[in-house]
Amino acid sequence: MAPPRTIPAPATDVLTAEAATTAPPALWDPVVRLSHWGIAAAVVLNALVNQGGSVAHVSIGWAAMALLLMRLVWGVLGPAEARFSAFPPNPRTGLAHLRGMFSGERPRSYPSHNPAGALMVYLFWGALVVVVGTGLVMTGGATPMQIAADKAAVASGDWSALIRDDGTDRDVRSDFGKGAEEMHEVAANLLLILAALHIAGVFVEGRLMRRNLLAPMLLGSKPDARTPRRK
Amino acid sequence: MTMMHADASGNHADASMTLGERRPGMTRKAPRDAARHQTAALSAFLLVQTVAAVFFVGDVIGDLREDPTSIHFLFEATVTVALVLGVLFGAFTLRRTIEFLRSQEAALDVARGALSDVIARQFLDWALTPAERDVAFLALKGLDVAEIAELRGAAQGTVRAQLTRIYAKAGVSGRAQFAAFFVEDLLGAGVAPAP
Repeated sequence: MAPPRTIPAPATDVLTAEAATTAPPALWDPVVRLSHWGIAAAVVLNALVNQGGSVAHVSIGWAAMALLLMRLVWGVLGPAEARFSAFPPNPRTGLAHLRGMFSGERPRSYPSHNPAGALMVYLFWGALVVVVGTGLVMTGGATPMQIAADKAAVASGDWSALIRDDGTDRDVRSDFGKGAEEMHEVAANLLLILAALHIAGVFVEGRLMRRNLLAPMLLGSKPDARTPRRK
Repeated sequence: MTMMHADASGNHADASMTLGERRPGMTRKAPRDAARHQTAALSAFLLVQTVAAVFFVGDVIGDLREDPTSIHFLFEATVTVALVLGVLFGAFTLRRTIEFLRSQEAALDVARGALSDVIARQFLDWALTPAERDVAFLALKGLDVAEIAELRGAAQGTVRAQLTRIYAKAGVSGRAQFAAFFVEDLLGAGVAPAP
């Protein structure tokens, strides 16, 4: 019925196939995005807004710990670009990437975080673990619910809540406790410094690559606005 | 979490409208968006569950230090273990869902790209002029003469003449056969003879 046709076999589009495997994701998966912004909000709130030791501070700390745990689980169970194997910590390649950036060359793209970004991620996680761990030491591992209950008891005049089960007064801190507090402060400040570096890095890298690196962490770019599909 | 990826549908496409865009009037919510909303909601739920699980684990550890033999502790510990396992299983399922969606998206892109490649090559093969190629694309997308004329800012008579030339070059009898030319390959089975 239809006239004879001569359709040449479509040539394999090597370029787009390659770009699909080495380009960073156009949109990070929701777990990565939600844990990223959740932890960012928790760090900002706990460092700058609410008072250390308050129920709100401890609750947010616990929530951040949960988000961190889920992100670490996601590093094993998640999709390819979220897994640890996609961005192994390697200071050599990380520094090489930074050097390339400062010399102004256009960075090559990676399927996940770039090597410098990967180092940043692990530093973040390390600092978060320290902050959460020392926070737990400082509160004796009490959950926010227990702390709230203790505070309510003290407010109603029952001071026995201040005495721990082992008979030590919570306010008499051991050297270990003081050291934990010190480390909590230092690591928290380190988190803020890392966050500032991270924002600067995203900005510079985005400029050099001429690519919006923020959109993939928010809602992604509109499908139509992506690189033109066909010439 | 609002994840709006409203396609630029419904608004006026210009004459450079290509195969990748949707013709106005044929608006339909992309299933991709629905799937994205769904995974985002699942992820949010998973993270809330994780937060709850961590609080429970903390509570259980507190109970453990107080009285590890109480029924309360045993019960709560069991519930918490179930919750943690549920979270892990949920994470695993979510990963599978995300990967499934991606592979579907990729397959769709390949199919789309392949079809538009085939069409573009065939147009070249028929030696259509650039204007005729545009008109032929729009005709393939299902626009009628009036719509094509409006999009291209041309007279309807011009478009009709272009379509006639296109059909002649393609050696087809009219619009139905023209569209069938590209669809035929996608329909695997032959036409069954009438009984």
